[in-house]
Amino acid sequence: MAGRRRRIKSTKERLLSVLDDLEVLSRELIEMLALSRSQKLPQPGEDTQILELLVQRDKEFQELMEVAQQQGKVHQEMQLLEKEVEKRDSDIQQLQKQLKEAEHILATAVYQAKEKLKSIEKARKGSISSEEIIKYAHRISASNAVCAPLNWVPGDPRRPYPTDLEMRSGMLGHMANLPSNGMNGHLPGDALAAGRLPDVLTPHYPWQPSDVSVGMLPPHHGNDFGLEPPGHNKENEDDVEAMSTDSSSSSSDSD
Amino acid sequence: MAVSQPRVEKDSEDCSLLPLVHDVIKCMDKDKDGQDVHQELMKLKTKIQKAREQISNMPGIDSSPQEQQQQLATLREQVRTKNQLLQKYKSLCMFDVPKAS
Repeated sequence: MAGRRRRIKSTKERLLSVLDDLEVLSRELIEMLALSRSQKLPQPGEDTQILELLVQRDKEFQELMEVAQQQGKVHQEMQLLEKEVEKRDSDIQQLQKQLKEAEHILATAVYQAKEKLKSIEKARKGSISSEEIIKYAHRISASNAVCAPLNWVPGDPRRPYPTDLEMRSGMLGHMANLPSNGMNGHLPGDALAAGRLPDVLTPHYPWQPSDVSVGMLPPHHGNDFGLEPPGHNKENEDDVEAMSTDSSSSSSDSD
Repeated sequence: MAVSQPRVEKDSEDCSLLPLVHDVIKCMDKDKDGQDVHQELMKLKTKIQKAREQISNMPGIDSSPQEQQQQLATLREQVRTKNQLLQKYKSLCMFDVPKAS
């Protein structure tokens, strides 16, 4: 192709080519001289031409060998530079690794900080006064649902949850309007109604007003205070007792 | 340098095949039966073979001198660029520390 550029031969290729030429020329010269001696015929000067070519090729060979030696020195310098490039590459990779690690740590820290700021903002928006929180805490703790009363002993009928009697004393129980004689004996309200419950073990219900306390309640008048809502009668008490004995609730039997 | 020049000239003279060719021709003139000629021819052949092996083992001659100079310049540029990059990143301060108010 006309447009194709001639490839530049490497020094090795040129050296080998010149060496081949030298071999061929020296062989031809020696053969020619041997032939001329044996045949004793004068040669037209072809041997001179070959000799000139041989000298020329030999000179070229020597120059190329010098160039090859110079290239060898340059090659050594290039090898040193390549080692330096490798070392720099390894330094750059190490730096890249450290930068990535630092980026990861910083990104995590920034993310956590942002989440904390969001939480702070959220808490600020829904802030509640400490007095209200303490008030709620008192109300929750007042029913002794969090911790038993200090004077609680085994056998105390008080429980941290509404007992049967308390449930039946509530609106649901009154809706059924069940009769009860109140003399079953094993419920705290019954014992109170019978006048057998001591003051210490008088049940205190959270929904009772604060002035209805131990000292103020008459312990032997179970029918007088708010335990029995209006409309409660002996008929309902019988039903309550019947239901209590039949119930499988574990409230009063877990002493 | 003056000290290295004679050594370079000696090396180049060692590469020359002309002395061996001359020895062969001289032997051809002196010796008719050809035993010495044969011996000199073997020397020539051996030297050519050794030269071939030497050329094959020489490092750095797989490219022309111009190509090699280009490669050398490229490598030097690479080293310079990478040194600059490393220096830049090691001395770079990415964080602007705000003044305490």
